[in-house]
Parts: sequence; C-alpha cells; structure tokens
Amino acid sequence: MSNIKIQMKGISKIFETEELETHALKNIDLTIYAGDYVSISGPSGCGKSTLLSILGLLDMPSGGEYVIEGKNVTDLSLDEAAEIRNSKIGFIFQSFNLIDELSVFDNVALPLRYKNQVPSDSDIEMRVNECLALVDMSHRASHKPNQLSGGQQQRIAIARALVAEPAILLVDEPTGNLDSKSGDQVMDVLEKLNDRGTTICMVTHDPRYADMATTQLKLLDGAILTTPALSEAS
Amino acid sequence: MSQFIYLHKQAWASLKKKIGFVATVVVTMGTTLGALLCVLTLGHLLLVEPLPYPEQNKLYRVGHILDDNKGEISADAFTYPGLIHLYKNQEVFEQASLTSYSQSVLTSLPNQPRLLIGYTTPEWFSLLGVKMALGRPFEATEALDTFNPVAILSYDTWVKEFSQSPDILQQKVTFEGVSFSVVGVLSKDFIEPQLGTTGSDMHAWLPWDFNQQTRFKDSWGNIHGALTYIGKIKSGVSATQAEQVLSPLLNDTWQEKVVGSDFFKGWTISSEVRSLKSIILGDSERMLFFMIAGVLGLLIIASANIANLFMSRTAEQQRQLAIYAALGAKKRHLFRNLFAESTVLMAISILVALIISSAGFYLMQTQFASVLPRVNELTLNLFTFGSAFLFAGLFALTFAYLSTKMINYKALSSMLQSSGKGTGVQVSKRFRQVLIVTQVAIATVLIFANISLFKNAVKIIQEPMGFEVDNMVSVVFSTSTSPAPTAEESAIAMAQLKSELQQLPQVKSVSQATSPLNNFQLNAITDPVTNLSFTPDYKQVDAQYFTQIGQPLMEGRLMSAADIKDQNRVAIINDVFAKNLREDGNVIGIELDSSGDIYTVIGVVKGVKLPGHSDIRSRMYFPSPQSHRQMNLTLEPNQSVTREQVVAAIKEVSNAYALFNLSMLPQTRNNILFPQFAAAVSTAALAAITLFLGGVGLYGILSYSTQMRRFEIGTRMAIGAKRKHLINLIVRDNTVVILIGIIMSIIVMTVIYLFNQELLAEYIDVGLIPVFVFTLLAIGSLALFACYWPLRQYINHPAIHMLRGSD
Repeated sequence: MSNIKIQMKGISKIFETEELETHALKNIDLTIYAGDYVSISGPSGCGKSTLLSILGLLDMPSGGEYVIEGKNVTDLSLDEAAEIRNSKIGFIFQSFNLIDELSVFDNVALPLRYKNQVPSDSDIEMRVNECLALVDMSHRASHKPNQLSGGQQQRIAIARALVAEPAILLVDEPTGNLDSKSGDQVMDVLEKLNDRGTTICMVTHDPRYADMATTQLKLLDGAILTTPALSEAS
Repeated sequence: MSQFIYLHKQAWASLKKKIGFVATVVVTMGTTLGALLCVLTLGHLLLVEPLPYPEQNKLYRVGHILDDNKGEISADAFTYPGLIHLYKNQEVFEQASLTSYSQSVLTSLPNQPRLLIGYTTPEWFSLLGVKMALGRPFEATEALDTFNPVAILSYDTWVKEFSQSPDILQQKVTFEGVSFSVVGVLSKDFIEPQLGTTGSDMHAWLPWDFNQQTRFKDSWGNIHGALTYIGKIKSGVSATQAEQVLSPLLNDTWQEKVVGSDFFKGWTISSEVRSLKSIILGDSERMLFFMIAGVLGLLIIASANIANLFMSRTAEQQRQLAIYAALGAKKRHLFRNLFAESTVLMAISILVALIISSAGFYLMQTQFASVLPRVNELTLNLFTFGSAFLFAGLFALTFAYLSTKMINYKALSSMLQSSGKGTGVQVSKRFRQVLIVTQVAIATVLIFANISLFKNAVKIIQEPMGFEVDNMVSVVFSTSTSPAPTAEESAIAMAQLKSELQQLPQVKSVSQATSPLNNFQLNAITDPVTNLSFTPDYKQVDAQYFTQIGQPLMEGRLMSAADIKDQNRVAIINDVFAKNLREDGNVIGIELDSSGDIYTVIGVVKGVKLPGHSDIRSRMYFPSPQSHRQMNLTLEPNQSVTREQVVAAIKEVSNAYALFNLSMLPQTRNNILFPQFAAAVSTAALAAITLFLGGVGLYGILSYSTQMRRFEIGTRMAIGAKRKHLINLIVRDNTVVILIGIIMSIIVMTVIYLFNQELLAEYIDVGLIPVFVFTLLAIGSLALFACYWPLRQYINHPAIHMLRGSD
C-alpha cells in the first residue's frame, strides 16, 4: 500500500453555468503506483484535461476523494494545494509554459524558490544542473527560452518538472506543439525517466505515444472505459 | 438605424455584466466632465455672454485714481465733491448716474432689519433698462438736489419684508429718521450689476441726495470706496479718449482744492474708464483660468485613466473579438462594437455630468457668490448642453479609437486557430511602464501640492491671533431720527446704553470701540522730528478695549477713563509701528501729527494678526469719542445675546437709535477666513479626487499588465507559487517603475519651485517633510492596492482558470 502514489475514489467534476450543468468527470476511481507510466487518451471533450487538472490540483473535484502519497488532498485551500503541487507534482504542458523573461537556469530553479524552506543557492545550482544534465540541456543554461527550439523548450520544461523531486510527473500533450522528431526525443526522455523510477501520468491524443505507457486509460464522456488494475495487476 | 439600435443594445447587455467597470467610468468621467461643464459655463457667461443691459457695450465705469507718485499709495476711490464735479461737468457720456452703496436699518418695521441700500440718480434705471414689477423708477423729480424722499424696493425685499403686500405703493419706509414713500418694486427678473459688493444685491434704492456721505460734500481730502459713477459713452468715443478728457477735468480741480495740503504734495488724480463688463468680471478672470486649468488637468488625468481601463477591457474581450474576426468582422466592424460601448458609457457619464454641473451652479450661487461675479445668472443652457454633447462624442470616439488601435487584427484573426496566448490585443511593456511612471508622478505632485495647500490653509485658520474673540459680540447702533442726535446727546445715550447692556446677566464686560476683527482705517501721520510720513491703520478705542480682548501692553500705559472723557490727544501704537518710527522702539512720549492735530504716544501694545492676514501692519489707536456708536460685549461662558434683547436695551434708553448690526465675533472670524476654509475644503477634495483618479489609473494599467501575464501567473501557480509569492512578484516588478515615478515627481516639483521661488518661498519649510512622507505613504498604499486588486481575481481561484487557453 505504501507504493501507492495517487488514489482517486468516486471523483466527479461538474461545470455549472446559469443554464447548464456539464458532468465533465463521472465517478472516477483511479490508483497510480510508484513507477507507473500511465497514459490517458480519448476523444476531444472526454474529460482528459479536466482529469489531469484535478490530478495536478490545478482544479478541485466536485465530489469524491483524492489522496496523494497517503495525504487526503480533496479539500485543500489554494495555498495548501500550491504547496502540494510544489512538493509532489511536476507539470509538463503542451505549450511548455516557460517564462520568457527568465533564463533557462532560472526557469528550472523556479519550483525550488517556491519551497517553504528555500534551499541554499549552491544547492539550487547543483540540483538545477543535475536536471539540465538529465535532459541533456546543460549547455543552454544561460539562454532565454525564446532562443531555443520547441523540443529544447520542452526538455527544459521536463527539467523544471523534475527539479523539486515530485512524486509524479503530470504531462499534458507533451508533443502537441512539436514536430515528430522533437516529439520523439521528448518521449525518449520521458521513457528514460520512467525507467529510472519516475511515476508519469500523461494525456495524449497520439496512440503511438499512448502505447509507450505501461498502463493505458481510455476516457469517454467523463468516465474511464477501461479500468486496468495498473501496476498491481500488471 | 436598426443596426445602430442593435449595436447599442448589445453594448449595454455586455456592459451590464461589468458593473464595476461601468461604475468606475461613469463616476470618473461624470464627475470630471461635470466640473468641466460647470466651469466652462461660468467662463462662457463671464467672458462671452453680454451683460443683460441695453447697449451694454457702451456702459463704462469711471475710476478715480489717486497716486502719491512714490509708488507707495495708489487708490481707486472718489472724493464726494470730485464725483459731483465729474457728474456735472463731463461731456464724454450720453448719460451717467451716481451710486453710493451703504447699509441702513429699516426702523419702520417691527423687526428693524438691516438692509443694503443703493443711493442713486434716476439715470441708473434707464442706463440698465430696469423693468419694474410695480410702480415706477426714479424720475427727474428725484434727480440731484431735489431731496424727494421716495424709495424703490427690490423684488426679494418686497417678498421677504412686506410679504408681497399689494398696497406696497401706498406704504412708507423709514431709514435714519427719514420717511420714504415707496414708488416702485423692481422686476423679479432684473439682474443688478453688483458694483457695491459681489454676491449681494441691494435691498432698496433711495435718491442720491439721502446718501450717508453727504457730510463729506466739501471734503476734497477724503475718499470713499462706495461712490460709483457709471455712464453710457457717446458714440465714436473710446475709453482711452474718455480718460484723456476726464483726467485733467478731475486732476486740475482737485489740485486747486488741495493746494495748501503738505500731505497731498506731489499727488495726482487720473481717471480710468473701464467697461462695466470688465469691472463686474474684476480679477475673477484669473481665478476662472485657474479653475479651467485645474479642471482640465483633472480631466486629462481622468481621461488617461479611463483610456487605460478601456484598453484593459479590450484585452479582456479579445476572445470575443477574435470570434467576431473569425466570422468575418473587419477592423471597422470591431471599431463599431467598441464605439457602441464607449457611446453608451459616455452618454450615461454626461447625464451624471449635467447633474453634477447643476449641483456646482447651486454651490457657486450659495457659497461663492461673494467671490465670483454673475453666478446668479448660471443655469444649464444651450452652451452647456452643446458642450456636453461635444465632449460625450469626442470621448466616445477617442476611447473607441484607442481600444481599436491596440488590436493587432492579423494576430486576432489567427488567434482562434492557433489557440494562442494574448497577442491579439497588446500594448507594449515599455508604453505600460511610461503610463505607470506618468500616473505616479502626476498623482504624487498633485497630492503633495494639495496637502501642502491644505496644511497651509489649516495653519492660517488655526493661527493664534494674539487676542481673544471667543464669547464676544460686536454691536453697532445707528440713529433713527432726523435730524440725528447731537454728539453730546449721543454721548449721554451711549453711556446709558453701555450701562444697560452691562446689566444684562449674560454680559460680562462692555467696551466702546469697533470690532477688534475689522474697521481699521488708514490715517495720514507725520513724525515732526524725522519729518517722515506714515499711513498706519487706526481705530478708536476706549479704556476697556485692550483688557477686554487680551491684547498685551508692552510699554507705557493704556487709555484712562480721563483720556476718553476729556478726549485727550493721546495715542497707543503697536510694536510694529514703534519700530518703524524709532529703530530702538523707544516711542513713549513722542508726538505725531495727524492732519494738524498732535497726539502723544502713551503706550505700545503687541501687534496682532487679523484673521487671514499673513503680516502685522503698523497700527495706532485713538481715544474713542463718548458718542461712539459701536460696542463689544464679552459674554459669560455658554451664553448668548439676541437682537431682541439689545433692541429692548436701546428702547430703555432712547427711541433715537436702532440696532444696525449685531455679530458674533467667532462667526465673523470664520467669515473672514472663508477663503481659507474654502481652500482647505477644495484642496482636501482635490487630493481625494486625485487619489481616486490615481487609483483608477494605476488599476487600469496594472490590471492590463496582469492580464497580459495571466499565463505566466498560471504557470507559476502550477509549479507551486503561493499567493504571497505572486503578490510579491507583481509588487517587486512594479516597484522600480513606481519609484521612477516618484523620482520624476520630485524632479517636477523641484523645477516648479526653481521657476517660482518667490511665490513658493512662504510655503517651503521643514513642515513639508512629513507632508511628503505622508504623500509617499498614500501613493505607496495606492500602488500596492493597484498591484493587488487586479491580481486577486487570479490568485483567489484554482490555477486552471489562468491556464485555460494556454495550450
């Protein structure tokens, strides 16, 4: 049981407007274990991004229970959620979301600077350099993001996601803004990371990349179509 | 037309969802445009609209300028005989009238009200085209030297004092013992040229022959500010030509009459012929331009701020605009949408502005009538509505244009396909920073200047005068019989009256002197030892005066009862005059010549500051005659005395006197300090408005800037930034720009000071340091608020709100 990184029970998400109520997620049960590589796929509007947002505490569920590494995170304040995101979750976005005004080094270091106990400058430097080396981008540390190609930017985003040693990497369409060659390179990095034990949960449209995951979830109309037993079963 | 209605309906529907935005725009533009309309309508009235009199461009007032040719004294006032000489001998006016402004008690009414009286000749009515509500104007039978006792009442007096009595023309009114038959009531619509006192219409008009200055009819050495001469200039004669004719007419005769006077040696008289319009306008033209400049300044800040808000709003609408563009809307279609919104907003703003300008007219008429001419003619007119319509249109166009200008149509069209970030609507970062610097600099300068002026006004209001007027009342008596009582009779009556008043339980002490707050007059004094001439202020006081008001004696002694009784030729002077007379200030016992009478200085009192005055003038005090009809009462704590009680005391003594005036001195002091009170209120209001406008402006820019950083903020939140991190980030990023703004303001203020050192020197002292610190705190708080407020909508929601649309 200590291997469980993420556990969702009966998670639902309802978007309400004045006249309309949309059930984006319906009664989702999901358990992700340490070292899992999970892909989430499905047609547009099936709830993939909503599920990823809730997994990453970017949004709150309307119902159900959500536990990360044994801590119930269903009903956190905004600042508590921010702290969990900082310490336990690494994000990789489709459009990289690097901050243009910061150098590559500073972009990667950013999560460390939001920690409750900010590490010393030398620790930050060491950790950032490790992560840049991991994605093979050490030589670009002083560059600005707009001086890099899309693939390089995404690798920087991966380094940033890893820098705070999260429990899980949440990846949203990582190759959506990349050409196939750069996409493949990014997917190679993710695969290597998983091989080294990093838990990954990825949303993707691309069946080729979905197949790379050890566990594949398919969503339709806010519900999981296939419910594999994930690591325990596999 | 249907398209027009459709667009505006859509605009209104969209705006209804943004109540905060609508309220800010309407309040800001409504208030500033309201103030502008108010001031512009006043300006139009004063500078453009003709006076409401026939052939008003031919009406002139003749000024009588006395000049000592040393540059020390120059006065514009007639001598009584000089005025009559002009009236009888001039040849440049077709028609001319004499007027003397005064006050008198209407003793024929039980309540004995004090009325403002205009003594005039019959031409006054035809020159001004006066319409009558009842009866007739003055005629030849009331011309100079006819002594026909008739009276004309103003419409308001007829209503207020006589309850619009229909048989008013059969009634008589009594002033100073003379009974006047009422022959007319002025029309309600008649607008009097307020040449006597700005803000006050005369209550009644009496023939010139009865004016109170007639006792000076042979005195060529006394001038009287209340004597006025107006006339209709002959066709073809210019004001300069008239002056060239009238100056020798006045000067030659005057020189003949004062030929034996040493004091007037070297003096000359000249005439100044100025249009009635410029006389009525007075020096308010300058005040008017200051007001217009001030309001325009506010309008510029306000409109810059609202332009920022419009840009911010457009940035917010970019997705909607992108959809329009994707559906084929061209740039001009987008402009039409934005123009519809700005039109709706400006239409509401201008309605609010018209209400505010009406309130402004009322305020001017009730509070500023004594300092601003013609305000009783102010009303919402064609000019106001025309200006309102013009401003509404111009601002609606400007805001829509600026909003459209920031749309990158090409980027906007492709925005939906690329699901891109906020690049369709953008103002460069540098431009945004310039806007912040400008806002902070202007707001800092204005707030600092207004708080400094406010502090200065409050300082003057609170400045100790050096004497006490708390619990004091000034009473002035007039005679009510004709002929008036003799000086001896008056002396006995005043002594009895003083005793009667002293016996009132609420009265603590009584002095027989003019009010300590005013009634100083100029006196020509020569020092026989040095042969130097002086013109100190003077007044007549009794033995109790200085003790009663607590004005300290520094040297010598005060008046004694014997000095008053025997009318000894003694004088008390203040320390300022003592220093002017003798460098060592040792003046006790020296003699001074006042028009041939020699007075011995017996005492030196400490100089006192009159309210609203920044300096202490040279002053001297003579023994008041026992017939002096002015007294000061000091009341017991928390007591008051009524007009009826004083009138009853007068009746106990004699029916030959009436109560001319009763005034509470603390109230008089406040009236004198009205400009300072007005300055304190207006500067405090301006500082508050500036703070509000500065807040709106900074909010507009920072809101837009934050909008531009939405995805960045979302990303930072996604990787663990808490609210405090983001607030710190935005504050830190804007601190440098805000500091630059503050430095700019210091530079601007320094430059203003360097170019106006003489004017501003009196305002510069160490007391400005806390004011500046306070200003910085106010600006700092404002800037912090403006940083936080736009951010709160993001940081108080889950991070996904900011990241939507980023992929």
